[in-house]
Amino acid sequence: MKTISKDILKKAASKLLFDMTEAQYALLEDEFGTLLSQMDLIGKIPDIDSVAPMTFPFDTGNAFMREDVPEAPALVSDILKNAGHVEDDQIKLPKVVG
Amino acid sequence: MSYLDLTIKEIHEALVARLVTPIELVKEALERAKANTDNAFEIILEQEALAQAAMLLEPEVDNMLWGIPYVAKDNFSTKDIPTTGGSNILTGYVPLFDATVITRLKEKHAILIGKTTLDELAMGGTGKSGHKGKTFNPYDKTKQRMIGGSSSGSAAAVCAGIVPFALGSDTGDSVRKPASYAGLVGMKPTWGRISRYGLFPFAPSLDHVGFLTRSAYDAALVLNALAKSDKYDATCSDTPAIDYTNSINQPIAGKRIAIIEEIVKSKHRPEVIKAFEAIVEQLKNDGAIVTIVKFRRDLLEAIFPIYITISCAEATSNAANLDGIKFGPATWGTTYEDAMRNARTAGFSELIKRRFVIGSYALLRENQEVLFLRAQKGRRLIVEELNKIYQDHDLILAPAAPSIAPKFEDKTDQLSDEYLIADNHLVLGNFGGFPGVTLPLGKLNDMPFGIHVMGRPFEEGLVLAASQAIENHTGLRNMIAPKEVNL
Amino acid sequence: MNFEAVIGLEIHVEMNTKSKMFSPAPVTFGTAPNSATLPIDLAHPGTMPTLNKQAVINAIRVCSALHMDIDRELWFDRKNYFYSDLPKGYQITQNERPIGKNGHIYVTGEFGRRRINITRLHLEEDTAMQHHFYDYTLLDYNRAGIPLIEIVSEPEIRTGKEAADYVDKIRSIVTFTDISTGKMEEGSLRCDVNISLRPIGATKFGTKVEVKNINSINNVAKAVDFEIARQNEVLLSGKQVVQETRRYDDALKETVSMRLKTDSVDYKYFTEPNLIPVKLTEKFITDAIATCPELAEVKYERYMQQLGLSEYDASLLIASKETCQYFDALVTLGVPAKIASNWLSGEISSYLNKNQVSIEIFPIKPSRMAELLSLIDKGTISNKQARDLFVHMLESTDSPAQLASKLGMMQISDEGALLQVVTTVLNENTQSIADYKAGKDRALGFLVGQVMKRTMGKANPGLASQLVKQELDKR
Repeated sequence: MKTISKDILKKAASKLLFDMTEAQYALLEDEFGTLLSQMDLIGKIPDIDSVAPMTFPFDTGNAFMREDVPEAPALVSDILKNAGHVEDDQIKLPKVVG
Repeated sequence: MSYLDLTIKEIHEALVARLVTPIELVKEALERAKANTDNAFEIILEQEALAQAAMLLEPEVDNMLWGIPYVAKDNFSTKDIPTTGGSNILTGYVPLFDATVITRLKEKHAILIGKTTLDELAMGGTGKSGHKGKTFNPYDKTKQRMIGGSSSGSAAAVCAGIVPFALGSDTGDSVRKPASYAGLVGMKPTWGRISRYGLFPFAPSLDHVGFLTRSAYDAALVLNALAKSDKYDATCSDTPAIDYTNSINQPIAGKRIAIIEEIVKSKHRPEVIKAFEAIVEQLKNDGAIVTIVKFRRDLLEAIFPIYITISCAEATSNAANLDGIKFGPATWGTTYEDAMRNARTAGFSELIKRRFVIGSYALLRENQEVLFLRAQKGRRLIVEELNKIYQDHDLILAPAAPSIAPKFEDKTDQLSDEYLIADNHLVLGNFGGFPGVTLPLGKLNDMPFGIHVMGRPFEEGLVLAASQAIENHTGLRNMIAPKEVNL
Repeated sequence: MNFEAVIGLEIHVEMNTKSKMFSPAPVTFGTAPNSATLPIDLAHPGTMPTLNKQAVINAIRVCSALHMDIDRELWFDRKNYFYSDLPKGYQITQNERPIGKNGHIYVTGEFGRRRINITRLHLEEDTAMQHHFYDYTLLDYNRAGIPLIEIVSEPEIRTGKEAADYVDKIRSIVTFTDISTGKMEEGSLRCDVNISLRPIGATKFGTKVEVKNINSINNVAKAVDFEIARQNEVLLSGKQVVQETRRYDDALKETVSMRLKTDSVDYKYFTEPNLIPVKLTEKFITDAIATCPELAEVKYERYMQQLGLSEYDASLLIASKETCQYFDALVTLGVPAKIASNWLSGEISSYLNKNQVSIEIFPIKPSRMAELLSLIDKGTISNKQARDLFVHMLESTDSPAQLASKLGMMQISDEGALLQVVTTVLNENTQSIADYKAGKDRALGFLVGQVMKRTMGKANPGLASQLVKQELDKR
């Protein structure tokens, strides 16, 4: 099993668009140690790879598809009222490049 | 004694007999809410609740929830009412729509008197990690013991007698564990039985809407109101619902109950096991057929890593919409990424961030096969084992928790090596979507502990019937924590 | 060293369903910002996706037109990444199990008609629109969640001409099946090209460059040709082609570097847990295909086999769905196919080109056009008169007959045209001919009357009489 370096953790956090304190990274390193050894338990299950991964708790039968009938949209004022920065009825962000 | 201290069933009878009015109930509930010191509330909805109650003048005889005050965990979307998910990243967020279950309860004229505290974004089991701090267990006036989580505030509100029922959510045990610590009935129905539309997602393949009451019959009443198909939730079943207050009366004679040996033999307080065995005897006397079954130990020991991997992975993805741009406290930066980074760094607690990193790590291309996909495979193996048991048995019984509510200082949110099957088996109900109920089993040092009944998908009726049978034996119905004594 | 180009195309088609892919908000184009959204389009917590049935039907139709294997189960995945135009922080798409696989299409280029295999077709949702200003960007979520299908070809295309034809053929399919407006200039059909070069005969792929921002079919060929030439030059000078994304600059007529392609992004795909897999029944698939509007290639065959049009005429018609619709309407109204086809490729086409408008807003609707064309057919007016009438009809809402009358075209003095009518009348009234021959003068009057009747009274009576007599004498 791979051992986790703080670097990897920092990279992961950065990709998730948040920062953590050094102390938290240290804590996380510990947690990962625990987690990875516990995940080893999964790896040790003899027939683990003999089955397909399961996403849904059970086969619920045929799922439904929505009829193509549009619903009345929200009022512009409502849909924007939770946004921090609004201009010209649009949500404003720092300039996006690329 | 107040009518508010009764079960829903009893309050309804009093309302119909005009012994009490909705306004009176709501006023009292609001007073208790405001006086409560367990940190159960994100927000108390005084004006809204009184306004609604004032409109309810003619009791609806056939509508058991008419005029009944309740609370909802603050991860249910409520229109025009700030909803935070217990996280600073959603401070100030005011939804534009009601969760389907909120709408259903509105239609039944139940009255929402407040939104309750929770572990942040429902991702915890201690009631410590919400942005309002610890939620306490009303049974422990010294405030040393937790009520568990993540539906902490909802459990506290029902346990303290503020309301007779509360909405919660259960992804790994977040309704059924607090129920055990708080002497309540906590129900998690079958996956897809109740619409999740409007429930802030933690891990959709494991998430369930659940609720807390003080009697099995009350649970049937609430389930009746909520078990319906919903075109806004593609995972919500259209299997016809039944009248659970009817099926709750079915006899359990002849029903086959399985007890998983490895679970009951794992570390519990001896008193809990003793009480459990006593109940099992009484069920046998009722005519139930009880068998001890074996369950693969390697699978049981893998429960926790399977759960943490799948739930953190799904959670990381779900929380990617929380970026401060569309809602949440305003953010800015030199680039859009900075703006999002600033919001997420400030808005998420440290615990949540650590969970997200775990989840993200498990999904990385180089790790997915070995981490995420293997966890999903483990889930399948476990569910297949349970289905085998359900071929020959109707119900699975176990103590709900190894002991009474832990003290805050004894339980950390940090992942630790100490691993108890006894503490983690409730999530079996989430892996396979099986309906489960925790209800009171006994008390130890004045703190409650519970028993867990789990059935096949869509067999809530039988699960509730067994629960009621147990309730009849223990007599532990409608338990409210002793009130604060004013010195 | 001679190089061959290895080209693959990725096309995104915006569907014109009434509601969005996973959201019931309306699909609109060009409406006021954020006026066609629901909380789910801004990824409000607790909102959940629901699958648009019509979008599935549309995808099935395109899969069928591309001869693809259609998956009997619909599974969806999350593609996770952060970007300003992606409200959920992930896109719901189909990574593992695209609805269509292993299809093909024929393109025509320098190497004649060649089969190009199509790897996959899948359903996904569009992103929000961004408007960039000097130091800020504005987000409009109207477009967020609009249904998309993505079509990925095998890298088997070799030239700009082939690439352009490929895009044109796809455009034809999506417009004729009525699932999209297919307009590159409006963004409802988007094309990204992946180009690499390798020595002729080599099997290993060269370094791939992605070219985006191509806004017309003509520019597909231009962009590809430019890029092939550019890479050729790079390689011949001994350098390496840089793996990057470039955009086609319409003004410069060149591809320009946009950004370097770093390690491919890890999207952490996993199955979308909020969408239970949908099992597609055989009936659902068959019905979707059976109710599909006629494809261009089917019309092409039908126009030739059943309506007797030439290859040339048929191919002119199928260049656009709207032209075919107009043509089909004329034919349904009784206009002979050849006449309809001639007028569409002649007068109507001239008008549309001169005025830079499309046939959808052509002022003469099929019913009035059909009336005009039937006047010619009946010999009521001549072709020349019809062309004059046509011009007037553009400005007026009167019926052709009314207009003809107003313009004094009522009287037909065209000897050739009248002669036709006279001949027809005589052929249909042999008894009257006999009568006339037998000395019954009234038969002449009768026959002239028939000519007048047939020309709705517009024949020049004198000329008609003269011609009838003339023809009678011949018999």
